[in-house]
Amino acid sequence: MVDFDMYDARAPKIMAYRCLTCGTAYYPAPMVCGKCSARRDPVTGKGWEAFELEGSCELLTWTRVWNLPEGYTKKYLLFGIVQFENGLRASGQLEVEDPKTGMRLNATVRESDERPGNPVNVFVFKE
Amino acid sequence: MSIDEMEKKLRPPEIPLKPYLPKVITLASGEKMVVREARREETGTLLGTIYPLIGVPTDFYDIVAVRMYAELLGWYRYRVANEFVIVGAVNGVIAGIVTSRHVSSKLGMSLHTLTIKRGLRVGAQLFAAKMEHHLDDLGEEEVHIVAESPNGFKRWMIEYQLEDRSSQFPEVRHELGGVPTYVLTRKLWEAVRNIKCTGTRPVPEQDLKSAERLIMPSEYPQIPGFKR
Amino acid sequence: MPANVGIVGIGHTRFGNSSEYDLADVMAYAASDALQDAEFLERRREIDQVIVGNMASGLFCHQSAVASSLVSRMDMEPVPAELVENGPASGASAIKIGYMAVASGMADIVLVVGGEVMRKVSGWIATDHVATMLHTEAEYNMGLTLPAFGGMFTRLYMEKYGLTERDLALLAVKNHRNGARNTYAHIQLPCTIEAIADGPDAAVVNNYVAEPLRMYSTCPVSDGAAALLLVNMDSPKARDFKKRPVRIAGVASATDTHCVHNRKDPLRLEAVRLAAEKAYRMAGVGPKDISFAELHDAFSILELAISEEVGFFERGKSFLAVRRGETDIGGRLPINTSGGLKAKGHPVGATGVSQAVELVRQLRGEAEEGRQVKNPKYGMSVNFGGFGNNVVALICAKGED
Repeated sequence: MVDFDMYDARAPKIMAYRCLTCGTAYYPAPMVCGKCSARRDPVTGKGWEAFELEGSCELLTWTRVWNLPEGYTKKYLLFGIVQFENGLRASGQLEVEDPKTGMRLNATVRESDERPGNPVNVFVFKE
Repeated sequence: MSIDEMEKKLRPPEIPLKPYLPKVITLASGEKMVVREARREETGTLLGTIYPLIGVPTDFYDIVAVRMYAELLGWYRYRVANEFVIVGAVNGVIAGIVTSRHVSSKLGMSLHTLTIKRGLRVGAQLFAAKMEHHLDDLGEEEVHIVAESPNGFKRWMIEYQLEDRSSQFPEVRHELGGVPTYVLTRKLWEAVRNIKCTGTRPVPEQDLKSAERLIMPSEYPQIPGFKR
Repeated sequence: MPANVGIVGIGHTRFGNSSEYDLADVMAYAASDALQDAEFLERRREIDQVIVGNMASGLFCHQSAVASSLVSRMDMEPVPAELVENGPASGASAIKIGYMAVASGMADIVLVVGGEVMRKVSGWIATDHVATMLHTEAEYNMGLTLPAFGGMFTRLYMEKYGLTERDLALLAVKNHRNGARNTYAHIQLPCTIEAIADGPDAAVVNNYVAEPLRMYSTCPVSDGAAALLLVNMDSPKARDFKKRPVRIAGVASATDTHCVHNRKDPLRLEAVRLAAEKAYRMAGVGPKDISFAELHDAFSILELAISEEVGFFERGKSFLAVRRGETDIGGRLPINTSGGLKAKGHPVGATGVSQAVELVRQLRGEAEEGRQVKNPKYGMSVNFGGFGNNVVALICAKGED
């Protein structure tokens, strides 16, 4: 039978990866584990576990960019680098009134068609 | 000048406009640019300034220059209503000129922006001064804007977040005939004024004096080897 | 020392807007200047290897295989030619590979050319093309660009060390002053600290680009090319060159994590430190021996951070030295005497070679009046690829008599 669930509307997710041989987590995924040299096969996924990068995070640094690249029509965008409780870090957009280094934010994901080609998943860190 | 009956018929009705109060801006090079309204008797200097650029096709200088030449003559000869001309001068030498029209108490029609002195954002400063006069001084509610140059277009459309009314053509139709028409509303202006518009008033005595007599530039970066 | 490589010819176009010209023509112009400087133009077919540095001709100019195009543009077939790409460090990497060609024993005379024409496309498109060097999934897709990372790095630096926006503006004043005297600089218009930082109009005239970085703390988008002729000084062919060569004393590179968020310490530029250390070892010198330097100031914060990583100043203290004028042309350690990327311009593939051309001009005593460093012995350049994930350091020494 066909898995009809695959056609359901899905909330976009951004995945981190864990090497099952030594337990080290990465975002984004490497092709070889930096710690134990276990290889990652993107086709079978064997030996690695993908998990959702989400939830509470701390804002490490941020900027407000006024000169956005081609494809963006906003006057400016806020960007930041955050650290999750599991130690992983990520970059993304911010939806914050008054950003301050060290503040606690919540990681959400949205789909964007601002980049050329197919839609992509974008982190939006919110208060 | 006495105006005979025929001339009266040929002139459009005028709304007396509040004057633009001069201001001075320190450009990045440290040079001071006095931004003030031009006087009708300075038309010759303005026309002489623009004239050489009529032959420069790069960056759309030719069409902007020739249309501004027409706007200045139209203003000078009382054939265009409620037009104002603002000039930026560095040591009296004209750095840039903007033209615009007050259509009604609610509406402004931005005409042209022409910059001769390059590399110092003179055009951006004069465009902002134009909008300042429309919305802050003349009290209009919105200004209609079109662009001939693609880069100028994007600079204003994105940086000012202008409202796109191109879909309302032909009901909303800019005088210059351009489509699409973009609009700077009071609300949008208020959101960008403090990052776009600057300058000190009143202008210190000696700076104002330096701009008392406008001087045609002797060099044009757009025309290498130009000799007046 | 793996090899004894000397620079016997230099060429450099006026950086700025060359968008109406073909990239290969712009590079050929600089290459021809270098060959004429070496009095080798008629003998160009005797060159053993051409190495070209270019980052993104495919994106900016819709052209590929530009090393091959250059050879024909110079009418110098059948000389071998290859392209080296290392983002904005393509230029210095081209020099490094040229050096390695000589060290390998397979080439005695190497022509290195770095070039980029970026202005055929709009500024918004150019920003996007440059952003393609970032990690696609984790950075590019988010809308991040190089200025965004510049801004975030600057914020961290300011919060930790007390650097102010005015300090960054001081760098623009210095670099514009230097650039105004450099025949090849894109921007030759000095700016004042009052106009871009202290005065009432500064906030608008020097607007934010990626807070807290302002327009006068980010380099322009430029077109241009630069070229060097390298010679194996141990080969008898070296005797054909009359000008006293400037010696490449050290050249090295290192990499760091692609994703900026994965750097071990967000304020450290490990690749800069490691590349510089290796170059110092090769040259047998240390930071105290360097007379002047060209440091990759795509964002003014980088001039400061790089100067600390290579050991010129204690971490977090470089801006204090700038306040004291130590990095001015007449100062203790002149930095970016050419005007840096800020005023000289930054055609990305050309910059590394352009920095080397400045090292040679200064070491030969050929810099313009008011811009010449007194009696320089060693010059250093650091060419930054990506946002610090691939860096090349170069040390040149004044030639012996």
